Amino acid sequence: MRLLPVLPVVVPLITAAALAVLTKLLPRAWSALIAIASTIATAAAAALLLRDSLQQPIVYWFGNWKPNGRMALGISFAIDPIGAGLATFAAVLTAAALVFGSKYFDSVENHFHALILCFLGAMCGFSLTGDMFNLFVFFELMSAAAFALCAYKTEDPGALQGALNFAVTNTIGAYFVLTGIGLLYARTGALNMAQMSEALASHPADKLVLVAFAFISCGYLVKAAVVPFHFWLADAHAVAPSPVCVLFSGVMVEMGLYAVARIYWAVFNQTLHADIASLRILVVSIGAATAVLAAIMCFSQRNLKRLLAFSTISHVGLMTIGVGLFTAGGLAGAAIYTLGHGLVKGGLFLAAGMLLHRFSTVDELDLHGRGRSEKWAGFVFFAGAIGLAGLPPSGVSAGDDLIHEAARAIGYHWVRWISFFAAIITSAAVLRAACRVFFGWGPRREEQPGGAPKTQESRETDRSQQRTPMTMIAPAVALVVAGMFLNFTPRLKRIATQSATEFQNSEAYSARVLRAAPKRTPTAPAPAPENPLFGISAFACAALGAACYLFSKSFRSTSRWITRPLSVLHGLHSGHVGDYVAFLTFGIAAFGLVCVLCLR
Amino acid sequence: MIVFQAFILLFVAAGGTAVVFTRDATSQAIVVSFYGLLLGIMFFVFQAPDVALSQIVVGAMALPLMIMLALARIRKQNRKRQQ
Amino acid sequence: MTRRIRLKFFLVSAAALALCFFWGYAGLPAFGHGSSIYADIVNAISVPQRHITDAVTAVNFDIRGFDTLGEEFILFTSVLGVILLMRRTKDEPAGDHEDKAPGRKVPPVSDAVRVIALLLLAPTIVFGWYIVVHGQVTPGGGFQGGVILSSAPLLLYLCGSYPKVRGAAAPRLIEIAEALGAAGYIVIGGACVALGGMFLENLLPLGKAGTLTSGGMVPFINLGVGLEVSGGFTLILLVYLEELMEEKES
Repeated sequence: MRLLPVLPVVVPLITAAALAVLTKLLPRAWSALIAIASTIATAAAAALLLRDSLQQPIVYWFGNWKPNGRMALGISFAIDPIGAGLATFAAVLTAAALVFGSKYFDSVENHFHALILCFLGAMCGFSLTGDMFNLFVFFELMSAAAFALCAYKTEDPGALQGALNFAVTNTIGAYFVLTGIGLLYARTGALNMAQMSEALASHPADKLVLVAFAFISCGYLVKAAVVPFHFWLADAHAVAPSPVCVLFSGVMVEMGLYAVARIYWAVFNQTLHADIASLRILVVSIGAATAVLAAIMCFSQRNLKRLLAFSTISHVGLMTIGVGLFTAGGLAGAAIYTLGHGLVKGGLFLAAGMLLHRFSTVDELDLHGRGRSEKWAGFVFFAGAIGLAGLPPSGVSAGDDLIHEAARAIGYHWVRWISFFAAIITSAAVLRAACRVFFGWGPRREEQPGGAPKTQESRETDRSQQRTPMTMIAPAVALVVAGMFLNFTPRLKRIATQSATEFQNSEAYSARVLRAAPKRTPTAPAPAPENPLFGISAFACAALGAACYLFSKSFRSTSRWITRPLSVLHGLHSGHVGDYVAFLTFGIAAFGLVCVLCLR
Repeated sequence: MIVFQAFILLFVAAGGTAVVFTRDATSQAIVVSFYGLLLGIMFFVFQAPDVALSQIVVGAMALPLMIMLALARIRKQNRKRQQ
Repeated sequence: MTRRIRLKFFLVSAAALALCFFWGYAGLPAFGHGSSIYADIVNAISVPQRHITDAVTAVNFDIRGFDTLGEEFILFTSVLGVILLMRRTKDEPAGDHEDKAPGRKVPPVSDAVRVIALLLLAPTIVFGWYIVVHGQVTPGGGFQGGVILSSAPLLLYLCGSYPKVRGAAAPRLIEIAEALGAAGYIVIGGACVALGGMFLENLLPLGKAGTLTSGGMVPFINLGVGLEVSGGFTLILLVYLEELMEEKES
């Protein structure tokens, strides 16, 4: 137990250092194999940590700098099932992405493997740590690797622009996180989360604490791409290589939400607990706005990768609602939703990558009917649409059940309708795209303006393959099938609810980290009963909507009233980084003002 | 001592404003270098010599160098594209 | 959005944000007072428990050494990113090393620059190593010394001896040095586990405070970080000077 907690971080990083030197000496297949082996080892280590932390959450002090009674000096890893589960999930997705990418890039690898391994190491460290500044350091490492990976296709001028938007907005978010950490350190004199929590709990929250909370949350919410911080995500996904998009959508964005949940429950809960009703309204309304807005943007996209990116934003909005309910059920639902959505979305992005590899375009209208030969990609797309709608037994449906039950328990009945709307629209968009590409249904051209303009997409591979290799098909199918049947995992909901209850027990967290108090098992409430009607009706409505759109010209022309507001919305997503930063400033200022004026 | 600190803070504020309002990229690299030096002096005046050492080398030397080299690469690439 | 709308929108939001900043900073302890408990404890234990006289190094490489590992890898990743972004496509031939405007002869490097650069070269290298090695005694350490060291190839370039840069700083060796420095940090941590402690626990003999060998494992970490940082920054310089180009084959 002296080495295991460190392995998920250290194994990918040291392999990255080795590969950076050896990548020219080894044949490409070897370097891919070493990277995949290292990822599998990381996943195994993280899974072992998950198993151990289910019995007793682990606290690990680096350098053996244990708290000496007054003060925690060193850096600690405070590993609980949700964090370890997120790290395992990140490793599994990375393995799938690397397997996909092994035959995908024709050119010399150019440090692709080293960068992805650094990215994985950072994500594992991010989800395991219990120290505020260490969280920030791993956040920065994650961002540095992500910027480089996003700009990977350097011959495409759009790639640099998308990566630049990504880099500028996320760096501003990181600046606000750092400012918040500085304010809290000045107030409490500590950087360990548990220590900060105890130091803050002794006084009621004043303006400094509220401003620090607002800044740190907004900084991490920029990474989580909620409205109005979400503009960078579509641009970044449109230009990043498909294996990298899997990681971005599947786990990097959700890490931002995890950070917000972690810092609230580990640091601010004991001092902000009285204001939890107002915080609920704030976070749930942000999540609802994100879900609705992104779903509308999703349906009006032509570029498949941008379509999937907007559907990610919409689903992250639903996860934000889950986290923002501030109950154990909501958090557990968000955790399971992350797993289910990440698996399905990963598979969908890999399928989009297969189409790009074969046809050198991901524009839905250009691909009209051409996908008939790609049976596996079609299967993944249709299965993905089912998974996104939340048809049981998918992971998304399990998450939805828990979130709706938690919302109903505190009186937020309207959450179910927002979730319904987002599920229908995003699933209908994927279904529409799949039918158009793989069956050739629907019109060949857009009749009315107001949709997204056509985007250029450069090839990711240099030769158009006649056959899609099995290394590309297998990960896509495996991911989407796992996402569709996730609810068959035994006692998934019970474990999630129990872990979430423990996550939200701030006093026990502080006692465990600072004084090594043993854990008392709380009794988790019985998980919500399954409600299959929601998922089935969502999917049925989605199928109906997609069919109407494709086949009925009158349906398309009656929606003319939506053209004007839709074009305004598209105009806002202009690609100009100044616009994005203006919205970011507005978002942080609004969040800060609400926090200071409405919470006390 | 407090006089030094007040003065250097004013200079740093003026330097930051100057960096933002310099429009030409090459000139901006020089202004960034000078601003980096001002920041290094500020850290030294506030009794943080480690940070001042890092800042002087990175902010006054490495960063403006990278900016100017990147600008030179871009100029060269543009010229090649035109030919 | 047009530029004017964007500017107005931003200015209104920035005013509100400035208000938030003011509220936040107004709550800070008075300037010069209220030093943190953390700082006091570190000052009190740095010499007795670790024999390190530079408290900042004690925090960076011992008490919070894991953070420095992460920061080191941020530098490593950023260098990889720069190499990636600067790669040359096949139809872009290698150019001259001087930036020539059309119809202009490149003026030779002035004698003053050449003399001063050559004179400063050896002291820079010595000073850089001095700062790296004395990290646990005086202000400085691996990062600062490494950056000073990486300015040495730049001095060579400035005095016009570009071929000498290639000779002095073979890109392959620099890459290996940088990766070794980065991996070395992890290896040292792993060695601590092998010796029976936690990751990055300071188990080596501590030596006498104020000497070069004080601090246990801190001198080794200093060397590793110095190697990595100097290698990283030199690589960036070489990439820009088109020495280290990754060919993108089709």
